[in-house]
Amino acid sequence: MTVKHTMKPVSVNPLKIGPSLGSVLALQGCYRGMAILHGSQGCSAFSKSLLTRHFRDTIAVQTSALQEMDVIFDTDRNLEEALNTVITKHHPDIIGVIGTELTDVAGSDYPSFVKKYTRERGVKNCLIIPVILPDFSGSLESGYNAMVEGILDAVIQEEGCKAPTKQIYSQVNLLPGSFLTAGDIAELKEMISDFGFEVITIPDISTSLSGHLLTGFSPLTRGGVPLDSIRQSLRSSYTIAVGSSMERPARRLQNAVGIPYKVFHGMSGLRATDELLLFLQQLSGASVPQRYRWQRENLLDSMLDAHFHYAGSSAVVALEPDHLMSVGSWLGEMGVEIKALIGSCETALIRETEQEVWVGDLDDAENLGNGADIWVSNCHGRQGAKRIGASFLSAGFPITDELGSYMSVSVGYKGAMNWVNKVGNLLIRREEARNESRLC
Amino acid sequence: MEENSGIPINDNDCLKLEPKSKACPRPKPGEAAGGCAFDGAQITLLPISDAAHLVHGPAACIANSWESRGSHSSGPRLSAYGFGTSLSEQDIIFGAEKKLTRSIEYIAERFKPPAIFVYSTCVTALIGEDLDTVCADVSARLGISVIPVNSPGFVGSKNLGNRLAGESLIQYVIGRTEPERISAYDINLIGEYNIAGEMWDIERLLNRVGISIMSRITGDGRFNEIGHAHRAKVNMVVCSRALLGLAKRMEQTYHIPYFEGSFYGAKETSYSLRQMAYLLNDRDLERRVDRLIKREEARLAIELRPYRQILKGKKAVLYTGGVKSWSVISALKELGIKVVGVGTNKSTAEDINRIEDRVGEDVDYIAEGGAKSIIKAVKDRKADLMIAGGRNMYVALKEQIPFVDINQERHTAYAGYDGLLRLAKQITFAINHPVWEMVERPAPWDVGGDR
Repeated sequence: MTVKHTMKPVSVNPLKIGPSLGSVLALQGCYRGMAILHGSQGCSAFSKSLLTRHFRDTIAVQTSALQEMDVIFDTDRNLEEALNTVITKHHPDIIGVIGTELTDVAGSDYPSFVKKYTRERGVKNCLIIPVILPDFSGSLESGYNAMVEGILDAVIQEEGCKAPTKQIYSQVNLLPGSFLTAGDIAELKEMISDFGFEVITIPDISTSLSGHLLTGFSPLTRGGVPLDSIRQSLRSSYTIAVGSSMERPARRLQNAVGIPYKVFHGMSGLRATDELLLFLQQLSGASVPQRYRWQRENLLDSMLDAHFHYAGSSAVVALEPDHLMSVGSWLGEMGVEIKALIGSCETALIRETEQEVWVGDLDDAENLGNGADIWVSNCHGRQGAKRIGASFLSAGFPITDELGSYMSVSVGYKGAMNWVNKVGNLLIRREEARNESRLC
Repeated sequence: MEENSGIPINDNDCLKLEPKSKACPRPKPGEAAGGCAFDGAQITLLPISDAAHLVHGPAACIANSWESRGSHSSGPRLSAYGFGTSLSEQDIIFGAEKKLTRSIEYIAERFKPPAIFVYSTCVTALIGEDLDTVCADVSARLGISVIPVNSPGFVGSKNLGNRLAGESLIQYVIGRTEPERISAYDINLIGEYNIAGEMWDIERLLNRVGISIMSRITGDGRFNEIGHAHRAKVNMVVCSRALLGLAKRMEQTYHIPYFEGSFYGAKETSYSLRQMAYLLNDRDLERRVDRLIKREEARLAIELRPYRQILKGKKAVLYTGGVKSWSVISALKELGIKVVGVGTNKSTAEDINRIEDRVGEDVDYIAEGGAKSIIKAVKDRKADLMIAGGRNMYVALKEQIPFVDINQERHTAYAGYDGLLRLAKQITFAINHPVWEMVERPAPWDVGGDR
């Protein structure tokens, strides 16, 4: 029990992102998908705009456009109209119906409505997945997980909850957590397939939000894992979940169709990558490819080079829970003193960890992180970092004021080396600034 | 729309004074685009940079929206803080008025702002939070202005939100403070949000002829200064649809004449300056304005020459809303660019008349359909360029259409004479960039084979 909360009546510079946005993000990793936010049109406009600015790409999301009278009388009518329009106009393979705080408070039972709609309309070739998301209890991470679980649940139901007759031994599932970038997921897929596995990634934003030049406008997602592959995932021999929050969907697969799973809590740094590669070696029986042996040496060497600059440095980190713990453990490897770890919401992982973790906002980061050399958070933290004179390193979501953050890699030995150097360089600049200020 | 919105609009005349456009159509589920009324209210009020802006509602309303606008401040930065009551389940069940009160007190104590704007959201409107009473109570107790903004997302579009925010300004801000000094040349700018610092360019121009801005509503605005607005001699409404009601109300109450204008393009800028001088009713000023216009237009003509040569005859599709749908056309025409398609989904009937005046017959009107229709217009008319908001930027880039961002998130100021020059440079750069050649270059291994 090391979770701490600050006593403020009001959230100042929120760290939290709406869970419904997390669900929209997860759906972007499914091919020919469309998210429908069941709420006022602002709910989808804000999500769309924020995701667009982060990924610098189009985002597939629509709205049921609830207005006051709809909320009072009948929200189902709007949802029906939205589903009709989206299905007849765009023919998606997969639709996520994502609730908002508004539908939650209005008490609308849209999961039942979706069931009825699917049955009565005889909707074929399109999976409609309702997700319930009370806004007050979670953040981006929980909304993302709920959608992944919803997707898996839907294909499990389709199969009648039976274990498939034939398992494919060389096929594994990858359930990447919400904090992994498109670049991270591509790297993980490559690492796993280097051990001879076919990888099904659910969801897979590395093929939808990594940037492409496909012409021919479509409001649906233009990449991601196809529905057929999601169905195929039930025949995989193993599930690899990255991020503690991905344990629930992985466990759902195990309970329903008997696929064993392993959860990797984080993916940053030497130890985390060692753990993954050792596991892949044991699972496949193949030995670790030469390139990773090289990369490991490179990483260790860069850590040696950098460690002088890390001496005596400190950091404050404010991120989504899984990401927070992952980055926190990497900072530990580099001997960085942690001023404070601040998570956007309380999760099982945060409750169980031995470290002290705060649940709060970026204003808390400013107070608790006073004197820190490095500030790690999404781009909203830039103003606070400046105020306390910390060097800012962007991570998480959103990062709207930098190019290519959605492709930056922090996983694996290469990703770890990336971070060792990035943070090390920030520290070198600080040393310079300190020396200069001594001169005058 | 307003009748059933549940928002108290005491003055029925105000409704009659709204632009003669159709009542806001109900957004179509499944194909609606654009923000909600809460978004609109924030667009109008957030530029008041020394005030605190507190969102009373679920975490997502503030979390997904803060720090997303390009409005600049020359001084205070308090409006860059995101404040939200982030309602919990308990709050929703038992009511959150106490929490709201404590939140306001906390902000007042810690940041000492001249004012706190409190925004309602769908959820707080639905559970019946009484913002007006809470704000009035705290305001009386703390001695600072605490202003309710009753514009929950589900009452309508972004535009309605702009108007409701204007309503809050009329009710609680304008006329509440007196300026230290007034002159015969004070004007207000209404609906100018200082995107990319445009207001600063405009202000420099005005100062050169001796016109000063009394209240900036609201780009780079300060709370107390907006309270002085009733002492200005002329109102200029820069974004026609959103805050016209505000200007009309001020004409009624304070007898301040107003006009609608724009600063996009040299022609519109000159017109606006002349109109201002005319309404200020000063011959000397009119002469000064004429001299300035002559000088600026002559200078601009020379500086624009190389760009006009490149841009002459180029075709553009314009997709934006309100005042910009017609004022930008003017600017483009001055550069020799032909507008072949215009989006009208956010324009009033009056805006559309003005578009017709400016583009003539040979243009496609894109009333609805979003990204798909815009791209179709670009392809059908073989346009060289698309000018729209950031929302459509990546749609255009994917289709390899040169793009210039014209909406609130952009980074370049296009207002005034210098702004037109910047626009010319930006468009030239967009059209002539080598990237268009690069992206068309096939991979060498794909050349000459089907594989």
